[in-house]
Amino acid sequence: MKQFNMYKTIFLTALLLLGATVAQAQVKKGDVLIKNGTLLTISQGTMENTDLLVKDGKISKIGKNLKAPNGVEVVDASGQFVLPGIIDAHSHIAGTSINEGTSQVTAEVTMEDVVNPLDISIYRAVAGGVTAINLMHGSANVIGGRNETLKLRWGSTNPDDLRFEGAPRTIKFALGENPTRGGRARGIQPQSRMGVEAMLRNAFSDALVYKKAWADYRADKNKRKVAPEYDLRMETLVDILDGKILVHSHSYRADEIYMLMKVFTDFGIKKLTFQHANEAYKVAPELAAFGAMASVFADWWAYKLEVYYSTAYNAAILTKNGVTTSINSDDGELIRHLFHEAAKTQKYGDLSDDEALALVTLNPAKQLGIDHRVGSLEQGKDADFVIFDKHPLSTYAIPQRTFIDGVKYFDIDTDAKDQRIFIDPESSIEVVQIFNREDQHKCMDDADLVYLNDLLNNN
Amino acid sequence: MKLQLRKISFRLFLLLPLLVFAVAIQAQSDPTGKSPATRTYAITNATIVQAPGKVLEGATIIFNNGLISSVGTNVSIPSNAEVIDGTDLFVYPGFIDGMSYTGAVQPKSLPRPDNLFTPDPPNDYAGITPENHVIEQISVSENSISDMRQNGFTISHTVPYGRMLPGSGALITLIDAENRDDLVMYNDVSMYTQFVGAPGAYPGNTLGIMAKWRNLFRNAVNSKQHSTMYASNAAGMQRPTRDRTLEAFYPVVSSDKPVFYNASSLLEAQRAIRLQKELGFALTLGNLKEGWDLAPFIKETGTKVFLSLDLPKEPKAAKEKDKTDEVKHLEERRMEFYKKYVTQPVVMQNAGIKFGLSTMGTTGGKVKDNLITLIEHGLSEDATLAALTINAAELLKIDHITGTLDAGKLANAVISTGPIFDKESFIKYVFVDGDKHEYDKKEKKSSSAEGSQAVIGNWTYTVTSPEGVQTGTMIIREESGALAGTISGMRGGPDADMKNLTFVDGSLSFDFSFDAGGQSVEIVVVGTVTGNEYDAEASIAAFSISFPFTATKDEGK
Repeated sequence: MKQFNMYKTIFLTALLLLGATVAQAQVKKGDVLIKNGTLLTISQGTMENTDLLVKDGKISKIGKNLKAPNGVEVVDASGQFVLPGIIDAHSHIAGTSINEGTSQVTAEVTMEDVVNPLDISIYRAVAGGVTAINLMHGSANVIGGRNETLKLRWGSTNPDDLRFEGAPRTIKFALGENPTRGGRARGIQPQSRMGVEAMLRNAFSDALVYKKAWADYRADKNKRKVAPEYDLRMETLVDILDGKILVHSHSYRADEIYMLMKVFTDFGIKKLTFQHANEAYKVAPELAAFGAMASVFADWWAYKLEVYYSTAYNAAILTKNGVTTSINSDDGELIRHLFHEAAKTQKYGDLSDDEALALVTLNPAKQLGIDHRVGSLEQGKDADFVIFDKHPLSTYAIPQRTFIDGVKYFDIDTDAKDQRIFIDPESSIEVVQIFNREDQHKCMDDADLVYLNDLLNNN
Repeated sequence: MKLQLRKISFRLFLLLPLLVFAVAIQAQSDPTGKSPATRTYAITNATIVQAPGKVLEGATIIFNNGLISSVGTNVSIPSNAEVIDGTDLFVYPGFIDGMSYTGAVQPKSLPRPDNLFTPDPPNDYAGITPENHVIEQISVSENSISDMRQNGFTISHTVPYGRMLPGSGALITLIDAENRDDLVMYNDVSMYTQFVGAPGAYPGNTLGIMAKWRNLFRNAVNSKQHSTMYASNAAGMQRPTRDRTLEAFYPVVSSDKPVFYNASSLLEAQRAIRLQKELGFALTLGNLKEGWDLAPFIKETGTKVFLSLDLPKEPKAAKEKDKTDEVKHLEERRMEFYKKYVTQPVVMQNAGIKFGLSTMGTTGGKVKDNLITLIEHGLSEDATLAALTINAAELLKIDHITGTLDAGKLANAVISTGPIFDKESFIKYVFVDGDKHEYDKKEKKSSSAEGSQAVIGNWTYTVTSPEGVQTGTMIIREESGALAGTISGMRGGPDADMKNLTFVDGSLSFDFSFDAGGQSVEIVVVGTVTGNEYDAEASIAAFSISFPFTATKDEGK
């Protein structure tokens, strides 16, 4: 009993410290009463002329003729539409690095470490009604780093203030052309789709060995036992095997989507969302049977060979097959009008209003494991919502106000032109451009360096 | 007779040690004549600032054999002292640099190994060499030693160049030495670390660096535990494998050695804090430039901090008459942030934080101007002096030997012709370890662009890279007394500013960066100008490659 188990102590201390960090980062919680709006609750249909009362950052009551407690701000939403905050299940804004692309398995790295609360794209997204994002690692490697679920609490310079406290961990995987391109550039595995599958199986087999070594160590009664090597990469893979980390896999082709489901079946991993998944419609019943989810573009394709066989009906086909589907942006500009992206599924596939809106609210919440907190307007959930002047599936809809935890982070009436919270004093003053072509290539950010090197050394 | 002889030899025997002694003295003599006649100095009738706020008027300070032997208004002057009339002179404790590369020479970047396995490169290429010591990079002839000394610095906490974990720092004394060992006061006083990834290998950027840090630290915890158990009783226990990298972490694990994090930006500082909170080592934030929002944390946790003396250039508003309101607003906001940088020390001061300063990224010549900038933005002169002297000494745990002008401490002092932060005063003497260094008033720096007419103008350049031959233009001009320039993009990219543009003795050098898929790649160009021809070599350190770069100056304007 007196045995001094240092490792346990260390880990417990680390956990405690981690907990302390979370407790320290006190985020603002607000109180507000929204009067007479049309509430698009997503989970319980549409409620007209209804009030929504927020207390201490949570939805405390939904109903008619609610009274605001003393001192609580009242927002008149007559003729306006209240939507749960939009959630982007695939984003690369608010990160200073995207890929640790030097190795093809980097499960040990985490986007948690590179959150950039100073990125102006955050405010632009909030102005488009987005309240939470999945800040993803890039797709340069087969098993990339952990992603970070963020609430877009713009204005703080402390990355901790943006963390979606209590959200489960998620991780990025990538199949197909991107990781094999990286492998070929460096002369390492994988250089083909077969290599991708082999790497996945090897990584998880190694993790099982690692898990057993530590289990044996912990079970060892010898007081003078020696710990196996600690490996954060293997620790993370073991957590995936144990179902503690949700996998989000970059993918395009039906064959590779099916491959990953087979690998996961063999290793008993269940929590899986396919990102992009342009050919997911071909294996929709298989996805539904597995319980895998899909996060797709509305109508974006043909930017490389593996993305030609695509259809704008993808989201609708998946939805009708019972696959929990979301529409994401993967882009600093597209993120500002995800409600328009959702509307496209009504032209291509006749989804109902609730089905279409769920693609950018409740469904991405499910994919990130945060649907008990956000994604619909329900009593007890976080007060993350956006008020539109018109129905959000209308081309004419413009977000008016965005709330997170009951705190207003965007108001079209007081929307100052310059919202930056950090400025380089040595920067030159240029015409401000909202569209930044760089954002379009974020998926392979930091990974191109070696590609360039490859070019330069190509004798 | 016999007896006589014996007597003589006995006398010779007595003389022998004396002869040896004489030889020894001769060996110590200095044929160059550089050695001072005496190591005893008296500065008399001076204004002596013993410590911030502790001022003696008309006082005398005596340095003897490297130490302060006495200081006060009633001090007798030793007969062997060189007397310096201190009337109109101001004496201060020698400055202490909290974190710099002073005295270190940047090693040539390692060539990329053949068949590099990028996921697991050798430790030296990955930049993970905490077992190295900065002494290996120090050169007694490094200009930065005399440059920093001339500007008042007497001791530097010098850290090694490198990548993620370059090695340990040392406290060096900024004397003229023949042997680099003579410079080192305390070796291995810190573990230096920074957010610099390996080019195209793991860890490549902040993501990998943070993960690698955790992994190294936790394995060091295990390895230290294993080694300790094994040392106390090896019987029946696996022998621990030696790993110098992990062993370098042992004193960090036990918080006996501080970790000096080069955390210049706000986000870097927050990441360093994040690692510290998780792992629990003794953290010092060094080279901090953007820490104003972190003051409450620094105060609360007692984290040690050295603020950067490398200040941004004051932004200049455009001169156009019909500026739009938008441009005016953008200029105001830029100025608002400039003020945040230059008032960072005031924010720390107001939060009750004891901080030092770090010269990393700047040069001796800029030190005084930057100190005056800080003072103009609200930092009191006493607080400025404290940051340079006693606070730095306390943070580096050398306040028992330096930091103030008290008897018994090192004879490290700065003597200026007026209050030291006055624009008109200049540093006349700097004493380091009791050795006198004397300076004349610096001539007003002649415009660095003077004599640079040969390079000012429009050039057409040609680069022969492995990607083929490319041409473009570069424009070199004079801007407020210095050279400035722009170079048209390589690979069809946008124009880039030519940085560190210098033209000395026919040698023109500059660097510029271009964007490669979101990552900045820096190209350094060095070469000679003959008439209108520029013959140079361009190199990309990140890839360890270089290629020919030539340019021809356009005739005419």
